[in-house]
Amino acid sequence: MSQSLRPYLQAVRSSLTAALCLSNFASQTAERHNVPEVEARTSPEVLLTPLTIARNENERVLIEPSINSIRISIKIKQADEIEHILVHKFTRFLTQRAESFFILRRKPIKGYDISFLITNFHTEEMLKNKLVDFIIEFMEEVDKEISEMKLFLNARARFVAESFLTPFD
Amino acid sequence: MLLLDYQNVLIQSVLTERFSGAPPVSIDQTVSDFDGVIFHISTPDVKTKIVISIQIRCYKDLVRYGAEEVLNREYGPYVIPPEPGYDFSIQVDLENLPESKEDREELVKKISLLKRNAMAGPFEQAYQEHYHLKQEAAKFTSEEAPQGVREGGEVKAIHYREEEAIYVKASHDRVTVIFSTVFREETDRVFGKVFIQEFVDARRRAIQNAPQVLFRNDPPLELQDVPGVKNTGTGDIGYVTFVLFPRHLTPQRMPDVISHIQTFRDYFHYHIKASKAYIHTRMRRRTADFLQGKQLLFIAYIVKLAANQCAVLRRARPENEEKERKTASGRTFKVGS
Repeated sequence: MSQSLRPYLQAVRSSLTAALCLSNFASQTAERHNVPEVEARTSPEVLLTPLTIARNENERVLIEPSINSIRISIKIKQADEIEHILVHKFTRFLTQRAESFFILRRKPIKGYDISFLITNFHTEEMLKNKLVDFIIEFMEEVDKEISEMKLFLNARARFVAESFLTPFD
Repeated sequence: MLLLDYQNVLIQSVLTERFSGAPPVSIDQTVSDFDGVIFHISTPDVKTKIVISIQIRCYKDLVRYGAEEVLNREYGPYVIPPEPGYDFSIQVDLENLPESKEDREELVKKISLLKRNAMAGPFEQAYQEHYHLKQEAAKFTSEEAPQGVREGGEVKAIHYREEEAIYVKASHDRVTVIFSTVFREETDRVFGKVFIQEFVDARRRAIQNAPQVLFRNDPPLELQDVPGVKNTGTGDIGYVTFVLFPRHLTPQRMPDVISHIQTFRDYFHYHIKASKAYIHTRMRRRTADFLQGKQLLFIAYIVKLAANQCAVLRRARPENEEKERKTASGRTFKVGS
């Protein structure tokens, strides 16, 4: 892990741990409904101030807390066209399997690549520190995977080009 | 399987089997090859006479640039008038095969290279033109050479696919081969760019004697007034230029170089697709790994549930065992003992 990545992830981890303080809260506008307030946005008084943690302009995390749910959106670094395609494909793969990830949102928030929605029911069921671990690990793994795939592609291209041109030599 | 074969493997295997002395059978087989080329192997009259026909989209272009001479040279005694619907046909009589095993294998090899030989016409013509221009140019210094010699021959366009073409141009010190290639998808375009960049760099890095490779999205200057070449400006057409230098243009190396350069387009796209497939499976595996991680989360959840259950049980347990009680006067006694 690079030196600048560590404090970034540490900041995300602490903010997430602090933000994951959720309680059961029934909707104030619709009777007998219990919806994630951060998504419904019907009562402004239960929404907390959103928080952005940015490593640089193309790599940031947005945490939107509310009384009974929290939304985490991640923008993954995309330095060039290849990384852009790889990130797009990878997030598509994940979001298509959203139902088996429980906390993954099917569509990311505008301007981000992937979003998670954690409600009080998730924190009641699962260990909070494990949830945070999962998100942090996810961020690390995605970065690693994208750069590995890019390296692979370049290595393969080089090999392919050289073996085509060798018979001319 | 890194480099593609020059010959058609299916034709090769069919003919090898037929030529091996097995009893003749009737054949009617259609074989496809790269670039929409279709072969037809059949025995229309008798079982011993095998007709192999080829259909190429750009046969008209090829004939214009001398494909017929090449084909007649290669298949002279076997050529027959083309079968209806096909461009060129040859016929082999099983009762009249070469005696030795090596010669038969040679013949099989030659027939399975039918597509390569059909496409070789323009390249061979360009080679001849290059030799001619070289002789011409040797008479002059570079400044005073007449217009025709300095500029080189005309551009030969082979429209071998619907939207893609090969352009061959000879001049006194080089032969330029330009492939125009279309990228159907954005992903292909980006991957193609990565690959082609490595082709361009390979010469600088490892293989000094390789042909120079250039890439651009707008038509190169050589193609400026060739009909049918237009600048779409969208970047989905790429032009890959190979510059063959005199060391590739010796008559000894001609057949190999021609065979090899023909496979470029298919090789290039094949590897783009292969990389895409690899990355796809890799992402699939990675996603499965994440799901595994999620399962760990779930196990943690079950552990927590179990702990909760224990707590609930503990609370449910009667608390009044072994509890000391006091009377009003301060004496203690035990209940239940």
